[in-house]
Amino acid sequence: MNRARRRKDFFRTAGTWASAGLSVLVLISVFVFVFSRGISTFSFDMLTDNYWATNYLLDIENGEANDFVPPAATDEEKYFSRKFGFSLVDDIDKENNRLMVVESMSALSPLHEGIIATAGSDQGKTHPVPLGARVRRIDYTNINGEARSAGILGQDSSAAKTIERLEIEAVSINGLFYQTTGGGIRGSIISTLMLIGLTLLFALPLGVSSAIYLHEIAPRNRLTSWIRAAVEMLAGVPSIIFGLMGVSMLFRITSLFGINTQSILLGSMTMTIMLLPLIMRQTEEALIVVPASLRMASLSLGASTTQTIFRVILPNALPGILSATLLSISRIIGESAALIFTMGTAISDNPKISQGATSLAVHIWTVMAGEQPNFELATAISLLILVMVLILNLTVKLLTYRINRKWQV
Amino acid sequence: MAAFKVENINLWYDDNQALIDVSLDIPGNQVTAFIGPSGCGKSTLLRCFNRMNDLLPNTRIEGNIIMQDGREISDPSVDVVKLRTEVGMVFQSPNPFPMSVYDNVAYGLRCQGIKNKKQLNTTVEYSLRQAALWDEVKDSLQRNALKLSGGQQQRLCIARAIALEPNVLLMDEPTSALDPIATAKIEDLMQSLKRMYTIIIVTHSMSQAARISDQTAFFLLGKLIEVGPTTEIFQLPKDKRTEDYISGKFG
Repeated sequence: MNRARRRKDFFRTAGTWASAGLSVLVLISVFVFVFSRGISTFSFDMLTDNYWATNYLLDIENGEANDFVPPAATDEEKYFSRKFGFSLVDDIDKENNRLMVVESMSALSPLHEGIIATAGSDQGKTHPVPLGARVRRIDYTNINGEARSAGILGQDSSAAKTIERLEIEAVSINGLFYQTTGGGIRGSIISTLMLIGLTLLFALPLGVSSAIYLHEIAPRNRLTSWIRAAVEMLAGVPSIIFGLMGVSMLFRITSLFGINTQSILLGSMTMTIMLLPLIMRQTEEALIVVPASLRMASLSLGASTTQTIFRVILPNALPGILSATLLSISRIIGESAALIFTMGTAISDNPKISQGATSLAVHIWTVMAGEQPNFELATAISLLILVMVLILNLTVKLLTYRINRKWQV
Repeated sequence: MAAFKVENINLWYDDNQALIDVSLDIPGNQVTAFIGPSGCGKSTLLRCFNRMNDLLPNTRIEGNIIMQDGREISDPSVDVVKLRTEVGMVFQSPNPFPMSVYDNVAYGLRCQGIKNKKQLNTTVEYSLRQAALWDEVKDSLQRNALKLSGGQQQRLCIARAIALEPNVLLMDEPTSALDPIATAKIEDLMQSLKRMYTIIIVTHSMSQAARISDQTAFFLLGKLIEVGPTTEIFQLPKDKRTEDYISGKFG
């Protein structure tokens, strides 16, 4: 080898190395970014909490002052009320508003005796104040029998001042107003699951059946090759166009069922159309892998074509269909554009099929699109989505590996 | 009594003529061997007997095959699905379904709609006994058939075909993927099966044809060159080409 050739080879090889390195670097930095930003906000509470904070206005009966013993280890940040047996700490929320949080409660504290005072179906039910409640106001009676308020809505700017006022003035507490934390993604997780379930319910039978028809039953003529080409092209259509089609065309179908808003049903129907090419393609790949000798064997034993498909070919294509399902799920989890149109962007804590809701990906869009983008929550959700998609894709890889091994005799 | 009378069969794949004017009788309860070099049309003719050629696109067949009951095999009144239960087939390489041994043998019956557990059990045992496989698998009927050895798999495929109680067994080079011991077992099996079934076997092995068949047909380039009792074909071939092939001058 002469030097010119050696140099040329070196540059070419270096080019491939650099390109591969670059893509690995980008991938790693995406992960590092999402993990480092998201992990601090990510918590189990986030998964189970509602997004919207709920207000509770409680009446407290038998709220007379008593003598409670503070818990053994009280540090300086916690302020304990000896009269009413609870402690408060200061905190700030994501919008930098001051707030006070119930940190501990004695067993006999009157705060366990709350009764919901807000008009509604829950009015009159007992509702103990939970730990972590963001106390806004505490209503009390002073020594002269006058009703007074303590807390942030009662001009006390901190936990220390609130407790101090109660300890000096209060004879009994009569009521309490608090907010739940909120900021959770429980609703979006549920609506994502509903979306996945409904979409698979529509898309799997449709996609698998049409793949079977195209691959096993249909004659190989111009029409079927046209259908095939059309399906392939469908896979390349940007998802926002599907979303547009969803709101304009599929909306008429959902309104036949009396659903006249954006809804999870509409979203899942749109996703169904988007996923058909994927499912058909994956299923067909799985059908191709089934050895022709099994088809021959089945037919030679007097099985009809349909029996052959359902008894031999389909069971053997099952792992492929399963990986199509998993890939579909990760597509549904990751989709946003089409869902913004068809499911809306209003976060719902109690999603219903006939109503709008956000999937996890759209939840990110919503919290970032507001006037005060909630970057921490957005990255925490991204982390969740990333982990889910990663797990799904690894499972697909594993399945594909096992299918390939099965037929290597 | 002839199981099949083949009359002037011509067959084309697209524009290639694979069989040219073939006529012969297949005697019942005997082993008929089809021999000849690769591409001579012997497997193609075999597939005519259960109409597996129907499955290949662009295939055209002329001529008749008359069945034992006098009907023509490609007659519209012949139900091809039923025909294949009467004419069983064993393929070149063992192709059991990736399910249990039991399910493999019961497959054909279940496709016929037979669900009776007792009947299935009886038939599965009978067929596996017939295929000389029962003693080896009777304790592991629920085992995946793909875990059996190649020879066992091929005998399973024979049992699977026998389960439907066919009249005829077509065997397309059934031992070409097997070792000599497994081959010997299959050959013994054929000797005992011919009492009950008409067997047509395609083989590349001249010695196998000589050992097991009663009648031999020699094919060359789509034509039937010579057919007759095996001893005559191998000892006193009438045609020069048959003699050359048998003595190994080409092949």
